[in-house]
Amino acid sequence: MRVAFATEENNGLDSVVSSRFGRARYFVIVDYEGGEVKGYRVEANPGSEARSGAGIKAVQKLINERVNVAVAGSFGPNAMTALEEMGIKHVEMSGITVKEALNRLKDQL
Amino acid sequence: MLEMAIASGKGGVGKSTVSATIAITLAKRRKVIAVDADADAPNMHLILGLGEEWEWEQPYSESMVARIVTEKCIRCGECRAVCPYKAIYVDEEGNYVVNPVICEGCETCSLVCPVKGAIVREKTLSGMLRMTRTKYGFPLISARLEPGRPNSGKLVTEEKTKAKEMTDDDTVIVVDSAAGIGCQVVSSLAGANMAILVVEPTPASFNALKRVHRLTKHFMQPAAVVINKWDMNPDLAGEIEAYARENNLDLLGKIPFDDSIPKSMAMMVPVTEAFPDSPASKALLDVARRVEAILDEWTSWFMRFRPKKPEPYRPIIIKPEGF
Repeated sequence: MRVAFATEENNGLDSVVSSRFGRARYFVIVDYEGGEVKGYRVEANPGSEARSGAGIKAVQKLINERVNVAVAGSFGPNAMTALEEMGIKHVEMSGITVKEALNRLKDQL
Repeated sequence: MLEMAIASGKGGVGKSTVSATIAITLAKRRKVIAVDADADAPNMHLILGLGEEWEWEQPYSESMVARIVTEKCIRCGECRAVCPYKAIYVDEEGNYVVNPVICEGCETCSLVCPVKGAIVREKTLSGMLRMTRTKYGFPLISARLEPGRPNSGKLVTEEKTKAKEMTDDDTVIVVDSAAGIGCQVVSSLAGANMAILVVEPTPASFNALKRVHRLTKHFMQPAAVVINKWDMNPDLAGEIEAYARENNLDLLGKIPFDDSIPKSMAMMVPVTEAFPDSPASKALLDVARRVEAILDEWTSWFMRFRPKKPEPYRPIIIKPEGF
């Protein structure tokens, strides 16, 4: 299971989950198996640099990274539709660290 | 930190007046930052009586345009023939030149150019991002676009990021959104904890309210309504009130038509300061006090007015044939 957390800081698992998806600066992409973090990496979100179509660019990034679940405080209309089309689950959560969010999510993963 | 976005769908219905009153009132008891998220027609600074003097200003560039390097250009004309925007012309000296206002930065010209490095892409100035402190005790973040440059969600995000850099946990960010329901409005609403929708009793404004309300429902945001100039059309104002009740929107107040508002704008003094006893000022201040009450009882208000079920706003997708 690969989970992408939208964040504004490049601080690994201690980054705070952003209130927004498409224009978040980074994605902390976590490989999570059997209740454990197997590894993670931080990727820049190309959506944050887009003048328009940020949500779509962010989703494309997650598709390329083979992500299964996206976590952010909110998802715009385009991003939400694209995620659903691509079968990527979206979970609304923000203001807590990636670690804490994983803890809350672990039963669903 | 709490972020509220003031939106309306239709322009010119009183968003900035409502935003300014809320910011001035809240700033008496709280830390406030105002964000003018309408870079196409920024006017919060004018309503607040500020001129064009800014504490800091920084250039904002996002779009890329082509530039032909005259020294390398062999004047073959290939670029001019393929440019889909007809942005390339030949000047009096026979040099090929890109008109940066028309160029969309699509790069078709660089694809066909036979000379390496004769066409470069460079950033153009899209506008300015700026900040100043108002005399009402809160800073204002604003942006200004150059003519013909796209107002984008990215610019709004930059403004909100600046605001957040200046905030701490108790700050209220008041975002005065642009009209419409496009990219920059989506960006104004995204991440906001609540929305205040301003409407006047005209069919155009009521229709626009419903459209922007679809966005706040998409974001699962609790929303409130302010009816401006309600007495111009009491029947339609009544219909808007009924819509608010049926759709679980909190009606914060009704502002009467009052020429003290245009007069105060001409004076560049907020109406609540210039004519505090006018009917419009009283109604506006009532709205601002309702907003204060919402913040004082945030959790219960949030639970009451948050949309009960998600209603995602799904764009219509036209798929290519065979997809």
